[in-house]
Amino acid sequence: MKTKLLVLAFCLVSLTACHTPIDGPLAPGENYYLGTVSVLYEGEYFNNEDIKVLFSPEGDRASITLHRIRFVPKMPVRIDVTIPDIQLQEGVDGVFTFSCTNVIPLALGGKYPRYTVTDLKGSADAQRLSFSLNFGDYPTSFTGTLMQ
Amino acid sequence: MIPVFLSVLLAVVLPVRDTLPAATVRAFKDNLPVEKLASPVSNIRVDEAAIPDQAELSDRIPSLYIPRYGASLTSTIYLRGFGSRMDNPVLGLYLDGIPVLDKNAYDLDFLDIRQATLLHGPQATLYGRNALGGLLSLQTVSPRSAQGLRLTAEGGTAFTARIQASLYKGDHGFSAAFRHGGGFFRNQFTGRMCDPYDGAMLRWKWTPRATDRYQFEQILQASFSREGGFAYGRYDGQAIHPVNYNDEGSYGRFTLLSGGRFQYRGDKVRLESAASVQLLADDMRMDQDFTPESIFTLRQRQRSGSVTAEVLLRPGGTFAHWRPVTGLFLFGQVKSLFAPVLFKREGIQSLILDNANAHIPSDIGQLAIWNETLPIDSDFTLYTGGAALFHESVFSWGRWHLTAGLRLDCELAAMQYDCRSAVDYQFVPIMTAPKTYRLSYAGTASHAHLVLLPKLSLSFEASESLLLYATLSKGFRAGGFNTQIFSDILQNQMMNGLMEELGVYLDRPSVSIGADATQYKPESAWNQEIGLRFRKDGFALEASAYRMDGVNQQLTVFPPGQSTGRMMTNAGRSRSLGAEVEMHYAATRFSADLAYAFCDARFVRYESGTADYSGKRVPYVPAHTLYAGLSWRQSLGSRLMLLLRADLRGNGPLYWNEENSLREGFHLSPGARISLQFPKMEFFLRGDRLLPHPYPVFYFKSVGREFFALSRPASLSLGVNLKF
Repeated sequence: MKTKLLVLAFCLVSLTACHTPIDGPLAPGENYYLGTVSVLYEGEYFNNEDIKVLFSPEGDRASITLHRIRFVPKMPVRIDVTIPDIQLQEGVDGVFTFSCTNVIPLALGGKYPRYTVTDLKGSADAQRLSFSLNFGDYPTSFTGTLMQ
Repeated sequence: MIPVFLSVLLAVVLPVRDTLPAATVRAFKDNLPVEKLASPVSNIRVDEAAIPDQAELSDRIPSLYIPRYGASLTSTIYLRGFGSRMDNPVLGLYLDGIPVLDKNAYDLDFLDIRQATLLHGPQATLYGRNALGGLLSLQTVSPRSAQGLRLTAEGGTAFTARIQASLYKGDHGFSAAFRHGGGFFRNQFTGRMCDPYDGAMLRWKWTPRATDRYQFEQILQASFSREGGFAYGRYDGQAIHPVNYNDEGSYGRFTLLSGGRFQYRGDKVRLESAASVQLLADDMRMDQDFTPESIFTLRQRQRSGSVTAEVLLRPGGTFAHWRPVTGLFLFGQVKSLFAPVLFKREGIQSLILDNANAHIPSDIGQLAIWNETLPIDSDFTLYTGGAALFHESVFSWGRWHLTAGLRLDCELAAMQYDCRSAVDYQFVPIMTAPKTYRLSYAGTASHAHLVLLPKLSLSFEASESLLLYATLSKGFRAGGFNTQIFSDILQNQMMNGLMEELGVYLDRPSVSIGADATQYKPESAWNQEIGLRFRKDGFALEASAYRMDGVNQQLTVFPPGQSTGRMMTNAGRSRSLGAEVEMHYAATRFSADLAYAFCDARFVRYESGTADYSGKRVPYVPAHTLYAGLSWRQSLGSRLMLLLRADLRGNGPLYWNEENSLREGFHLSPGARISLQFPKMEFFLRGDRLLPHPYPVFYFKSVGREFFALSRPASLSLGVNLKF
């Protein structure tokens, strides 16, 4: 009888483990998403594909780092840009919404006012991250999925 | 053809005096006397020819090309289309039967060197590593054959002076020499000569009286030198400018070689053994941009210790048809190398910042480095060890001799490297304060090889005077580590790491050198050769034709981009086709020498990654080497003799690069010597390189700029030799 109970318990534990959802609540710390950054440049969308974006929620604040991004096609280098101090709100089903009206991003080792961020709005969960903002004069958006 | 014809004509019409006694010539490991070897043999009586150093053998021995430039550590040797200016040499060097392991010790003054014997072509079966192009055996004067006191004093243009003293008494020989040179090239920046030289050498040789069974010989040699060097002038595509650099260029070296040879002649076995300890400590400082700008400097300080041991066994009895020799060779070497590269202010700007900022729009910002100097420190410890087992048998039937040999050579090498640097940088105007970026690059690398080195030769004594031979042999040259390239690796890693820390990624293609470039493979070559040796009365002729097929030929190349170093790389396949002729004629009052070689050395397959050099000539290798010398001896009384000698040497044409876009022509250089000989005294006047204009002997690139080294200008020296 004991053996049967142990086997049953093992099966239940196994099933529970297998059922751990990847679309559960977003974990605090570092979450990387892979997707496309679109920048409206001279009336056309300039797409940066396969851009890695780090979303780091902590308490009621978060930061977003866009890796190796190019804002305009003529830009001769790619840079990492971090948007700090984003206000975070936890919604239902582990979905975060965030926003920010005006913040100077960090790039090239310091504050980078040339691309001051305005009108940032977005949401993140354990599957997707999407947001839109203005980088200086450039309306920009990102949609990506969580990297496993 | 004219010199050949003249020599043959002179051999017929003039009375003869044999000055090439075969008994004095021996290749100490071979089973056959040297006059019966199935390889071309060049034999030079260094003391009689008054040859001051190894570089003077260049051209005098067919195919041997030793351009004189840089400093004593350079010792660049080319032979039969093989050779390079870095790391392992293409010529094995033995001093009194002791192998000299470190190439940095190759360039030595010929203090009481009696004889130089060069066996051409791969001699790896008996002599092992690096004897790919040939084997040079130097024999010092022995107390067994010379007794008394010898003194030499010499002074000349460019404030050169040489004083030499030797005492041979009983079983002992002591020699000492001091040499000073004021320098041949003036550095425009300092206003001083850039290549002065001061050097001293001491030698003790002990040859206790041999018994019927035992024989022993001991040599202890030490040398110390301190010199300038690196007389390189910038080439702007039109002209070569004078030497003009601001930082120190110097080289100091201490060498010690202690070796002993022991021989036992038993009834059943003959045993010969040799062992040595070799130490080398040197310190090189170089303005590596060779300009008046403060760009970057290199220092290379080396401490090296080596031991060698060898045992040869031969049967004790006399076998008419079979002469075998079996041997075991062991060696070990530990070398520590401290090689910092120091970027100075202008170098930081031009080599690092300009390069990085060229790709960053100025409206985004610019990278700044605040260090006045940026050192990249590199420490290396290199361990090399090897063992070889070899056998060679000579089978003789009448006038036919068949030589078959095989060597199994195993070598292990390891390198520990520890490189580091730190830089204070700031991305302005965005960063408000500088940050320090530190980089460390440490690790180990190793390689091992096991190689079989066979030899097969057949010779036929057509007459007492004429020997015909054919030889097939394989030689190899050890691989190694590109320690010189680590500063480039670190510089690239530092810039990449620093940019990554800033979060900036350039779109330019990567031209950085990877860690895989730190090693290069051993080089090997098969040699097929036919030749003849003719000796009759005072006339001696060596003639041979060969084809050498090289695999992984080692080349010194300049890495791509704005690199600051140089590195060894392996070319895929190469081949050398050539012919060598050497003639000597000696009569009572007259002697003539001729040495000529032709070499067509080309890459068969060599793709560098950026270009295909297949079919191009191997750079730095002259297509021809030539030496012609005439001596005349005239008696001026019962106790006075006049000696006149004139010679002409030349080499070229050659190419300075793999693309074969930069060519140097054939250059001839005359020399002369006149001396008055009394029974115990000789006064002499010597002229070297008696040319109005020097010619280029070396070319290289540094940071994309081109430089040439020129041959030394004409020089005259006056001296006296005393013998008691």
